Amino acid sequence: MNPVESLIIFSLIVASLTVIFLPRKGLLAKWKHTIRSTERVLIEDALKHLYDREYNQLGCTLQSIAGNLEINSDKATNLVERLEKLGLINSKDGKLSLTPKGRSYALRVIRVHRLWEKYLSEKTGVPEIDWHDKAEWKEHELTPEQADDLAASIGNPLFDPHGDPIPTSDGRIPRKEGVPLSSLKEGNAARIIHIEDEPKAVYAQLLALDLHLGSQIIMIENTRERIKFESDGDEKVLAPIFAANVTVKLFERKTDVQKNFITLSNLKVGEKGTVLKISNALRGQERRRLMDFGIVPGAEIAVEMKSPSGDPTAYLIRDAIIAFRKNQSDHIFIKK
Amino acid sequence: MNLVKSNCENCPVHNIDNLVKLGINMEHFDYVVALCGNPNTGKSTVFNALTGLRQHTGNWPGKTVVRAEGGFEYNEHKYKLVDLPGTYSLLSTSTDEEVARNFILFGQPDVTVIVVDATRLERNLNLVLQVLEITDRIIVCLNLIDEAKRNGIEIDERALSKELGVPVIPTAARQKEGIPNLLEYIDEVATGKYRCKPKRIKNKNPKLRKAVEVLSNEVLKIYPNLPNADWVALRLLEGDEDIIDAVKSGELGKLKKLGAVESTQEIILK
Amino acid sequence: MTNRNQILELANKFRWGLGGNLHDALMESIFKEASDIAHKVVITKNEKGAFSFDKKLDKIVTNRWTGFPIMFILLAIVFWLTVQGANYPSNVLSNLLVGELPHILKNFALSINLPHWVAGLFIDGGYLAMAWVISVMLPPMAIFFPLFTLLEDFGYLPRVAFNMDNLFRKAGAHGKQALTMSMGFGCNAAGVVAARIIDSPRERLIAIITNNFSLCNGRWPTQILIATIFIGGLVPAQIAGLVSAGAVVGVAVFGVFLSLVTSWGLSRTVLKGEASTFNLELPPYRPPRILQTLYTSLMDRTLIVLWRAVVFAFPAGLVIWLISNLTVGDVSLADYFINWTNPFALFIGLNGIILLAYVVAIPANEIVIPTILMLTVVHFGLTGVGAGAGVMFDTSSIDATKQLLEVGGWTVLTGVNLMIFTLLHNPCSTTLFTIYKETGSLKWTVFSAIYPIIMGFTLCFLVAQVWRIF
Repeated sequence: MNPVESLIIFSLIVASLTVIFLPRKGLLAKWKHTIRSTERVLIEDALKHLYDREYNQLGCTLQSIAGNLEINSDKATNLVERLEKLGLINSKDGKLSLTPKGRSYALRVIRVHRLWEKYLSEKTGVPEIDWHDKAEWKEHELTPEQADDLAASIGNPLFDPHGDPIPTSDGRIPRKEGVPLSSLKEGNAARIIHIEDEPKAVYAQLLALDLHLGSQIIMIENTRERIKFESDGDEKVLAPIFAANVTVKLFERKTDVQKNFITLSNLKVGEKGTVLKISNALRGQERRRLMDFGIVPGAEIAVEMKSPSGDPTAYLIRDAIIAFRKNQSDHIFIKK
Repeated sequence: MNLVKSNCENCPVHNIDNLVKLGINMEHFDYVVALCGNPNTGKSTVFNALTGLRQHTGNWPGKTVVRAEGGFEYNEHKYKLVDLPGTYSLLSTSTDEEVARNFILFGQPDVTVIVVDATRLERNLNLVLQVLEITDRIIVCLNLIDEAKRNGIEIDERALSKELGVPVIPTAARQKEGIPNLLEYIDEVATGKYRCKPKRIKNKNPKLRKAVEVLSNEVLKIYPNLPNADWVALRLLEGDEDIIDAVKSGELGKLKKLGAVESTQEIILK
Repeated sequence: MTNRNQILELANKFRWGLGGNLHDALMESIFKEASDIAHKVVITKNEKGAFSFDKKLDKIVTNRWTGFPIMFILLAIVFWLTVQGANYPSNVLSNLLVGELPHILKNFALSINLPHWVAGLFIDGGYLAMAWVISVMLPPMAIFFPLFTLLEDFGYLPRVAFNMDNLFRKAGAHGKQALTMSMGFGCNAAGVVAARIIDSPRERLIAIITNNFSLCNGRWPTQILIATIFIGGLVPAQIAGLVSAGAVVGVAVFGVFLSLVTSWGLSRTVLKGEASTFNLELPPYRPPRILQTLYTSLMDRTLIVLWRAVVFAFPAGLVIWLISNLTVGDVSLADYFINWTNPFALFIGLNGIILLAYVVAIPANEIVIPTILMLTVVHFGLTGVGAGAGVMFDTSSIDATKQLLEVGGWTVLTGVNLMIFTLLHNPCSTTLFTIYKETGSLKWTVFSAIYPIIMGFTLCFLVAQVWRIF
């Protein structure tokens, strides 16, 4: 074969393989997505949506279902009829509501969803932004028994990594708490208790700002155009519409507010500090390992040396020299 | 009680000749000794000093990954020595930690020797305190004492022993210093001549303390012989898969307080 | 049964009252206790502070200006000592095991009237492959690993990981991979085992899978030989040595580059979901115990080499002898395979003999060149060279090898592609076996085998096409 021809054929093969196997946008991924939309999945997604609206005290209509599930209104009508027949929902004047049976079903699905998100956050390296999508798959796959095993294996967690409560196996779930970040007044101090993971674009923006559950917020400026606040000592700016997706809880006592904390990465060689807390950005095995080395609140830590290439940095902690990377020391808060 | 006797390496009883290094040929043994500790504390060196094997040791955390076994004979008792993987903790659920934890808990060794780096005592105490919660037949082997001396670090081992409620034996395993003393205490603890009174941490949080109390009472109702019910209760609260399984399957019932002079048969680890 | 479940339910109920971070709280109270005890019992007397020597030494070996030079000089010394030191014992072993002993064994076989094929199969086949592997592998291993272990005992290696981590972090890997890679230059199987020092699951898998890109001891001789013949032959004789050495180093550096690129790719695609953590303890320096290290390291490695020679190389030798001697209607199995793969192999700039040599030499890269030489002689029916069908041999001089290969139709392209393919093909079976044992996963073992082959074929193909255009 002519070498030029063979090179052209080779590039064609590479190109077509890319089109097929590209993650998310590839043909294979799309095909997987379509075969996923079975009736069971549609029913469960609809129930979840209804529950979500109810929990947030919003009404639910046929249109909102169609919009949420990304199906046309004909299909949505069929789906709602089917749900009514199964005794999972009631419909009155176009307003839809869950029956007790439907609510318990919805909670079961939500339980798996949130457990799986917790599992991904604690036991795997899957990045935050992908948790929701993966849990959307998993929630339709597990039986209640499997869900209980999963819960046990990750220590029967109470909250998912976004701060949403995980329903118990008998369907109990605590009431919603907190207020949106956008409602804080200047000078208010609060702690983040929930970060909404949908829509994805908004969530990505919140992640980029390095906001985490447990972060301490002090409102600096709250206007219609922008919200400026301090999060764990760092100044940040958000559009109000984005800030509405973050739920916070006001501190009850003034003394709960931590002042002047800096990150470990701010210390220079030879300086010392006392650990205040480890941010929730560090989770799972990584967080546990840090604590194994004795990095817990109250621990003294000194900067020993920096790698000649700038990162990592070695610290003296409880008489041992341990090196951590900047993306870790950025999330350890200390006081000089 | 005299917690730590003076180094009596010249007394006839403690003659190193009493120790017959058996290598790996262990057919029958009277007691099982588990060896655990932080990575890079000279655990493998202690293992080699006791058994006469030449396992590879290195100045590098995390050399021993699989469980190594060896044996020795002392005072006419045959001992099986199990070298567990080095871990910083027993609570962080990595595979190594599970192996070590499950052996100490379910394997019920007659003695657990925790090798501790004398130059990094504070960090090492984390593991010691965790092991003290699980079993009550413990010896702390305060290793690398030569390195500590060289660097001007001195440790009051009597005070440490009093604090922990278990024998603390200073050693420099590379030079074989303190090994006879360690052997003597292994023998005393294994045969029940020495009774440890391990320190158990009091939980600061009153809610947690209450929960542990209630739960451990319930656990004791079903498994009355459990030596460490508080710890099991705490593990249940934290959601520890292995412990939950052990409660479910009833395997926890096999664990019991070790009697004064009682030999253990071979324990097969799952 | 119900009682047991009641306990678990009770525990779950209590969980709600206790809040989320039970583990954090527990660790805090344990360390509080640990710190109280330590303050009571530890007395520090040294006025300069503990470990002042360590601190001084660390200042030098992790210094911005001196850190890297010291590291490269130490590694260069280790490699130089290995290459120089292994030369003589390798020759002695080779003369003895490959040169003398087979004659003696053959004569002995004749004297007891052993059938011809039995002697051929077991002496020319199995034994010879075993002997070859031992004589090529044992001396460098016996020098390289003790040296490395001394550096390890001293406590220097974690500092290398500390210095190199930034580069590896960018590739999604762990700084300790610098060390597993260095070990891989000695033996990939040892490099894979060394990945145990990496405590993070994702980075450990990456280090295991990419270790094959470190050109191991068994592959260096092939590289050097081919570079001398084909690359060195392109330039004037005065600089031929320098250029061919440069080409070999170039291939090794290319391997390092590929292993970083592969690490980067793996950490962002298939291994994205594996848990990942980073921590690196820098232990105190300790005077190495030279004699004990030499002894244990030598014993360990020697045993590994012998085990590998017997378990893997011996059967390979049997196969090599069989395929060259078993015939199906006048054509030997080897010739069948060579003729069958030739169109594809020639198309990507290799040849069927090379492919066959790599298939039968999966157990040990050391025997690739002798197998190629033997197959060339047998396949082309050459007379006056070689030792017969199925008997591996080495020529007396590089020139002789060159002539032989040219008769086999080799060009500079074949040489270049063989160098690429030597770097990029499946790991030897010992390494694959070790990968399986270390990962416990058939999936990753298969992946580690297939991925470099695909890369090797693709790269050879591209080089061949571009070569033909110009």
